[in-house]
Order: sequence, then structure tokens, then C-alpha cells
Amino acid sequence: MMNDKLRNMITEVRNKVRDHGIKASIHYHHENSHLMRIGNNSVSLNTSEELTRIDIEVIENRKKGTHTHLGEIGSADDLFKMILMVSEKAGKSAEMDFEPVLTVIEANVETETQYDAALDNLDPSVKERVYSAIFKNVGENYNYSGSWSSGSTETFSVTTANNNSVWHRLTDQQFTCVLKHPEKMWELASWQTGWKAGDVTAEATINEFKSILPVYENHDGFKVEPGSYRVVFGSQSLGDLLGMTVWTGCAGRTWEMKMGWTADRKIGDDVLHPSVTVLDDPENGQIFSEPLSDSGMLTKTQAMIEKGKFAGLLYDRNTASKYGKEATPSAGCLAMQPGEGSVDFLEAVKDFERVLYIPAIHYMNMPNMSKGIFTGSSRFSAVLVEKGKIVSPIFSSRITDQFENIFGKVLAISSETISVNTSNTYGRRAPSAVSVPTWMLVDDVKITDCAESF
Amino acid sequence: MSIFNDLREAVTRNIGKVMNSGAQYSDARWYEDDSSEMLMMLDGNLEGNDTTIESGLGVRVLYGGAWGFAATSQTAKIDTCFDRAMANAVSASLLVKVKLDMGKMDGHTGSYTSPFEIDPIDVSLSEKVDFLKNVDDSLTEDWILRRMIRVQIQRMIIHFWSSEGTYTQKKLINTFAHMTAMALDSDRQMQRRSKSLYCETEGTRGWEMLTNPVLWSGHAERVKAELKEVLAAPELEYGNRSVILLPGQGHLQVHETIGHPLELDRILGYELSYAGGSFVNLDSFGKLKYGSDKLTVSAYGSITNSPGTFGFDAEGTPERDYLLIDKGILVNCLTSRAMISEANQRAGREVFAESGGASRSTAFYRAPIDRMTNVNILPGNDGTLEDIISTTEDGIIVDNPTSWSIGSNREHFHFGCEIAWEVKNGEITRVLRNPSYQGHTVEFYNNLSAVGDESTWVVEQVENCGKGEPNQVMELGHGLPVVKFDNVISGERK
Repeated sequence: MMNDKLRNMITEVRNKVRDHGIKASIHYHHENSHLMRIGNNSVSLNTSEELTRIDIEVIENRKKGTHTHLGEIGSADDLFKMILMVSEKAGKSAEMDFEPVLTVIEANVETETQYDAALDNLDPSVKERVYSAIFKNVGENYNYSGSWSSGSTETFSVTTANNNSVWHRLTDQQFTCVLKHPEKMWELASWQTGWKAGDVTAEATINEFKSILPVYENHDGFKVEPGSYRVVFGSQSLGDLLGMTVWTGCAGRTWEMKMGWTADRKIGDDVLHPSVTVLDDPENGQIFSEPLSDSGMLTKTQAMIEKGKFAGLLYDRNTASKYGKEATPSAGCLAMQPGEGSVDFLEAVKDFERVLYIPAIHYMNMPNMSKGIFTGSSRFSAVLVEKGKIVSPIFSSRITDQFENIFGKVLAISSETISVNTSNTYGRRAPSAVSVPTWMLVDDVKITDCAESF
Repeated sequence: MSIFNDLREAVTRNIGKVMNSGAQYSDARWYEDDSSEMLMMLDGNLEGNDTTIESGLGVRVLYGGAWGFAATSQTAKIDTCFDRAMANAVSASLLVKVKLDMGKMDGHTGSYTSPFEIDPIDVSLSEKVDFLKNVDDSLTEDWILRRMIRVQIQRMIIHFWSSEGTYTQKKLINTFAHMTAMALDSDRQMQRRSKSLYCETEGTRGWEMLTNPVLWSGHAERVKAELKEVLAAPELEYGNRSVILLPGQGHLQVHETIGHPLELDRILGYELSYAGGSFVNLDSFGKLKYGSDKLTVSAYGSITNSPGTFGFDAEGTPERDYLLIDKGILVNCLTSRAMISEANQRAGREVFAESGGASRSTAFYRAPIDRMTNVNILPGNDGTLEDIISTTEDGIIVDNPTSWSIGSNREHFHFGCEIAWEVKNGEITRVLRNPSYQGHTVEFYNNLSAVGDESTWVVEQVENCGKGEPNQVMELGHGLPVVKFDNVISGERK
């Protein structure tokens, strides 16, 4: 945990910087990360990283400079000199046609409501035992891989705008286990997430694999001919779809630049199916949340899509300044509201002759952002369902469709939601998650290609 | 004593300690300096003016056939860092089915410096900003809605020590740049045309590379002219036709469907839970007809000026020039020491004779994994772009990706591109917008029907290849000529 000496040093340097007439923010980021990677039924890598970063931003009228230092911070003098260097950089920058905005921390905040010391200090042998139990209980004749990232993130931020500060510490974990048949080559996957040590269990993955294995073991792959299909998207695919849909449709910068699929829509327009409501919801306990927005405001719940209507855009502080809008108290906590469908998706599709269940979409990308066209392929645990019965696994199938179709031709939505971990470990530890219904049934989804393998 | 001497003493002492405690192998990488700078001008506003300095130590310990890794940004914690790496390896060794080993390599010393005249980090910000403004001015027109100029530069000084007595030192310089112009077409869809800084095979990689107008900044007029044509162009219709890839598109095709499937850790199943696997297996080498006889692909390729050229990999192995695909037959892949040892052990024969020197990591705080170096299609005998067009009955020429989506085993793919030129009966007839194409990798490369000569060959840079858990980005290069594939599904089904 950050000691008082370091906290006091950063605060003192902030005061000294302010006395020099410099507009600056200082952000401390400390991560304690551990990752166990599994490959070929073995621990293939077991890592620990303890890293400390200082991020500095200096604004000088219509110019700005930013700098990140990863390494030893040293003394107050060293930090002060670093800020002077960034100030000089900002001074030599080019004037912009808008004024960049310094973060104004709205209130003093100290929070660690999503911190668990047991997860922060989790012994790697716990992870080894969970994976071992899965291998033993599901069957050691399969090939297993996966990863389990866990750790803590601690941040402390001050700016010269006022004397407030925000300290935040949280833990997070992301668990994946992939089961591959060594000859038939099909793959199943299980994902778990959470911020407490007990949130990931061997039993959850064992039960998940055991429930679907008979279908894969006893049936050949089904080749899906290109065409339109009813598709049930599972939580991982729904999380990916929702993230891209909102980023290209409800981000203030994308909308103002006329880049996304809502460029010609206005607030209040019907854009998606009336059963679709999407919030930025810091109160949702399934999501890792930040206490303040990037502009320093206490975060609040805000609708982006409400009963299918375009309800709001999210503006960061600089986009708001550039386009003359108000910054929003955004938390980055994406939450799609549940529907009224049964918890079991098979029950919901029992009256349909043929439905594809696609729990995850691999390597999604957008050939045409203006039209909201995306493409990606099915991968783990994807199956063909007939009259509510799983009948066979499907080969790797490509979906190429539009966000407005996927969230516009909704037939049913699960009444249960689940957390999908959307963190990556590029650069620094930065936990993120979305809350989505466990499934969503959509009509008329375009399958555009299918391999003859999994 | 200097910081370097203190650190060397601590590292060698700790390597000795873990070896005496039963480790099979250990190495350490100290990033003395990892500096980068990113400048991003959007519509004339310098919205990105960012520098990063990183420094620290990454330690690997191989114990009981398993890897432990630890990293620290605090040099005072070197002993703790080794202790953690050792403890992680011991913990990992409790669950090991196939024990890893590094094979044998004699200790050696060496150093490498990227060729450069002017260190781009040392150029003043004022000079950089002036240069970007000039490029932005050259891209400015009333009808262009968005202009984006992005420059990324890197300087890394990396020391490496191993328990075999190897010591290497590297100074790497990288320079990347992109310009993009965007405008709305008649259907109010945002179209774009872009150009990235590319390399000359034997040039230098400093500030002088960025300011050479031939390699980047001098392309603004062409970018604008082609964007204007795209805005007025009809959409590409769905159909089966020949597709000619210019290097701006071809390099990503090679990257995604030759480079990634030929990473040995991926072939052996170590990336399944994130990036995916590969349709290639250990029996494929020497047998799989990956492409037509016209397809010959090299790794590294003796390219002196590329981000995929780095002297020694993250295990101290010298970079090596060799073929991956020889006249269509798969013969080798991208390898590191532990992976070839495991592959040979699994196959029960020697599939790979020596490491390809492809073990790389993005930073001191990430463990090395198998990565691309330079993966190149060698020039062919089918002449210039004009020669290839003249022999095309019905096709399109495409350039620069807008989107890429690849199957999990790299067995199939879908690409969107910025621009297409229609070719009918040996001549370019018109420009088309929203081009895309898709295919199945082996079938696609076996339909390779023309490979351009050296006049069409350039080295394209990639600055952000993502892979690995924990995630890593990597810089690399692809040298390639103009290439033509027949019988390709292109455009989108209605």
C-alpha cells in the first residue's frame, strides 16, 4: 500500500508546481500483478510484476504535454524536475483550436470497496490446484490451456486545480480455461472473473465443460452454409458486440467526428430494438468501477440507449471542450439491462426449428464503421440447436453484419446478467468489465463463410 | 562504481544463486533506457504530445522444466526479483507434463545498434512539431473532413545476461509514421486513404528516415487524389475475381496468415486461450503445400533497416536469415530455444535444428515469447505492377487495410481495404469503394498466380503486433512485392 511519505511528497510537489504557476496533474499508478499461463496441461509461465508509474499532464493555455515515467520515482526534487520538463514540452507544443481542460477533482475520495487482500496476495499454488482439479475431473486426455491473471491496482491523483485528491485501490482477476480435443481439434472455453479470492472456482468450470462435452464427443462438426440464421449470442460475444456498438455509436468524440453508425442520428431517435437499454452504471456491482470521471466528477449513472432510443453520448473533458459540450460524469461501466427471457437459453428457443448458439466471437473488427458493419468468427463451444436441443458443434463460422441489425432484431433477452471481464494487460493493469445478459436471441443474423474445421 | 557495474554484479550474483539452488537456466534483461515519444496531430491540433521513459529488470528462471518470471522497476529490489522468479518457477514445476529445456548454447558476447544518423528522441520538439505541421498542411483541403498525422519513435538500450555466460547489449531505434485523410462520400460514409512510413532495405532508421519525402511525407498529394476518387466511386460488388495486393495491404495478409500461424509457440498450443492456435502442426514441415510454387518466404531476410532487425533476440541468440516457405513448401517457422527443444521432443525427431532467434519481449516487465522478425515474400519473376495488371482478365487491386479478422487457427480471414482499382481485360477501368475480400489460407496461397519483381518490393513496418499473456505489442517488418491471387471471394454478400 502507498505509504504516507510518498503521498505527502506528491502533494507537496503539487503545491510547489502550483506556486510556479504551472497547471498540472500528477497521477500515481502502482500494480502488483500475477499471471499463471497454462499450455499443454502444464504451467507454461508463472509471472510477477511490481511496477510503479507516474503520469504527468501539463496544460499551458491551448497547448499540452504528457509524460509517463516507469521506474524509480526518487525524491521530491526529481519529481519536480520531471514536471518542469513536461511544462517545457507543453510550452513548445503547437496551439490547438480549443483549450485543453485540466482535471478538477470534485471531492476528496478514498475508496477500496472492491479490494480483497486475499486476492492481492494469492499464492500461485492456489491457481495450480484449481487447474489441476479441472484436468483431473474433466479428463486428462484433453489438452488444456488458459491463463489466470490477478492482482491489485492502486492510484493516487492530484491536480493544481484544487487541494483535493483521490486514492483508489482495487483487486481483480480474469480466469480462462480452454479445453481442446487433441485429435478432433474442437475447443471449449470457460471464463470467470471477480475481485475476491473465492470468486473463481474449479467447480464452475468443471460443471460447464461436463455439460457440453457429450455433444462434442458424440457428434461431428456442422458446416453452416452462408445465409441468415437465428442466433443466440452468449455473454462473451454479447460483451464484445456491446462494447463496439457503444464505442462507435455513443462516444461523443466518434459522434462529433461523424465516424460511427449514429453520425446522422440525434438524441431521442429510435436506433435499436425497444428491449435494449444500455447504461453507464457505476452502481452496478458486476463491474470494476472508477470513483471519478476523467474530468474529476463523481461518476453517475447515465443512459446511452433507453428502450431502443438514442439516449445519450459520453464526453470526456477535452472532447467536450473542443465541441462546446459539457463533460459527462462517465464511469466507463457499461451495463446492458436484462430482459424477460428464461435463464436457460434452450428453454427460450424450444419452439424454433434451428438456432445457432455462439458464446464468443473471435477477432472482431469493423470493415465499415459508418454503417456499423462488423465481422468475426465463432470459436469456443458454438453449437447448433434444434427445437431447444443441442444437436452438434458447428465449424468456425464467420458473421458479417451490422450493429443495428444485431441489436435491432432482438427476439428475446435473458433475465439474468453476468460480468464479462474486458481487461487486457497491454501496458498497465487497468481492470474493466461489462455487465450483460447471459444471452440474447437475434433474428436474421448473416453468416458469410464457414470453414470445414473448428 | 557506476549503476551498470552495480547492476551487473547484482545480476550475475543472483544468477549464480538460483543456479546453485537447482535452476536449469536463468537470464536477465535490464532495460537501461526504454524511451518513446508519440505525437498525434488531429485536424491540425497537436492532441498527442506524449513521452514515456521506462527502466527496469526482467528475470527468467527455468526450474524443473517450468518457467518463472518476475520484473521490477526498482533496482533496489533485484534480489527480491530473482527470489520471486525462482519461487514462481518452483511453483510452476508442480504442474508440468512436458518439461521444458533450453538445449545447449555456448556463452558469447555481442552488441548491436540499429543503423541511424540522427537519434529521433534527441531531435527538438519544435523541429518535430514544425515537420508535422508541414505534413498536415500538405494534407489540408476544404473537402477533407479529418486529417490525422501520427509519429511514434522509440529508443531502447537493453543489456542481457544468461547463466551460460552470454552478455549482449543492444541499442534499438525505431521510427513510425502514418498520415490519414478522411471525407464523407455521397452516402455519408466516412472514407479514408492513408500512407505509412516504409523502409528501404539498407537505409537508416533515424529522424532522417522520417523526413525523407520518398518514404512518407511526399505521398500527401497522392493520398488526397485517391481519396477524392474513392468518394465518387461505386461500391465493389460481391463476386469471385483476381485480387492484386499492393504492399500496403499485402504486408498485413502475410503478417496474419503466414507470420502468426508460423510462430512455434502458437503451433505447440501455448497461445490457445488468447490469440489462438495454428492450422500448421509438426508433421506439416517439409510436406505442407502452403502455396503455389511462386511462394517463397524468408524470416529476417538480411534486411538491415527494419523494426524486425535487432541483432540478438531476448535469449541472446543471433538473428538468423532462413526460409520459412520454399517454392510453396513449408520448411521452417519462427522459433526460440525452449520451443524447438519441446517440438523435437514431441515429434521424436529433429524437426528444427536451431533456434530462429525469434524470442522477443515488448518491455522488461514481459517474458519473451516467439514473435515475428521480418517475414518476407521474396521477389518473383512476373515483372512490374503494370505487367501483372496486363495479364489480369477480371480483378481488383487493393491497398491498405481498414479491417482484419482472422480465424482462431489462422485458417480463414476477412480483410476490408481503403481502395480498390477495378481491372478488366488487362487494364485499370475505375476506382471502387468499400472493398473487402475473404478466403481460406492454404487455398488462397495456392492460388498465388503472380509475384512482382524487385522493382515492386518494399519493406512495410508494423508497430503494434499484439500477442501473449500478459499482453505484448511488438515492432517488426515485412518485405514483399506486389502479389496476385486468383479466384478470391471479394465484396460483401447482399
